[in-house]
Amino acid sequence: MKIDRKKLFITLFILFILLPLGLITEYSAWGEWDNEVYKKMIGFIPKGIAEAKTITPLIPDYGEGSIIIYYLSAIIGSIIIYLTLFTILKLKKSKNETD
Amino acid sequence: MHIPDGYLSPITIVTSYSIAIPLWIYGFKKLKKELNEETLPLIGGLSALSFIIMMFNIPIPGGTSGHAIGATLIALLFNPWIGFISVSLVLLIQAIIFGDGGISSLAVNSLSMAFIGSFIGYYTFKIIKNKKIAPFIAGWSGIVASSLFIAIILGIQPFWSENGKPLYFPFGLTITIPAIVGSHLLFFGIIEGIFTNFIFKKVQNENR
Repeated sequence: MKIDRKKLFITLFILFILLPLGLITEYSAWGEWDNEVYKKMIGFIPKGIAEAKTITPLIPDYGEGSIIIYYLSAIIGSIIIYLTLFTILKLKKSKNETD
Repeated sequence: MHIPDGYLSPITIVTSYSIAIPLWIYGFKKLKKELNEETLPLIGGLSALSFIIMMFNIPIPGGTSGHAIGATLIALLFNPWIGFISVSLVLLIQAIIFGDGGISSLAVNSLSMAFIGSFIGYYTFKIIKNKKIAPFIAGWSGIVASSLFIAIILGIQPFWSENGKPLYFPFGLTITIPAIVGSHLLFFGIIEGIFTNFIFKKVQNENR
């Protein structure tokens, strides 16, 4: 199977431009609710959810509605993907050389 | 959906990691084998596509939203192991940098959206590949299967309770299956199907 690199990147670019469309809805995914929602629905917040240990993300919720940070989030995500793949390729090559 | 931290019982977390870790190791080896100067931009581009398509939150009736995933697409254009590892990487970045999905639930989220999405989509396609809309059906089946897995894992969480109060995700299977699988059957499956079908046909080189 041959993938046309140019067409792939044009597709990516078009989707990237359209990114603000992703911010149109205020609805969250089913189940991805704030803790207060549980209180409203069942009268309490389950202990595990209330006391959940989690990390503080660098960019919470992709900028919480800011279009600029939304764009930046997509760029940062893509850069990390490429950096990871480059690192894996480099490791693979350096290993091949020492073999 | 991306399950956040605090939603799953410790037993669920340990079990899911003990299944996911060997699969990640094996898949990582497959990715390493496939990776070279020519494939890197493509695998990177497809992973970025998955990352970006997940940012398109689409509202549906009932006050919730969802998005396509893109795992099946990568599975069809490369192979399901590459789909699995690429989307797992996307989920890891989403969890750590953007707080989308938890760390303790990363294994369940990866098994669902990355592993099941890739493999169910891929093998569905293999069975019906002569049909014109095979990529559509593949994408649809992949994400519906992912949603079924998530709905089951979430739906068994009320089993762990204290004084009759659930400790983790509080809704059982009779709620999670219609809500999560239903919305994927009718809406997000269609979106994933259209996305998979369109991009699959779009990005292939015609003059090969």
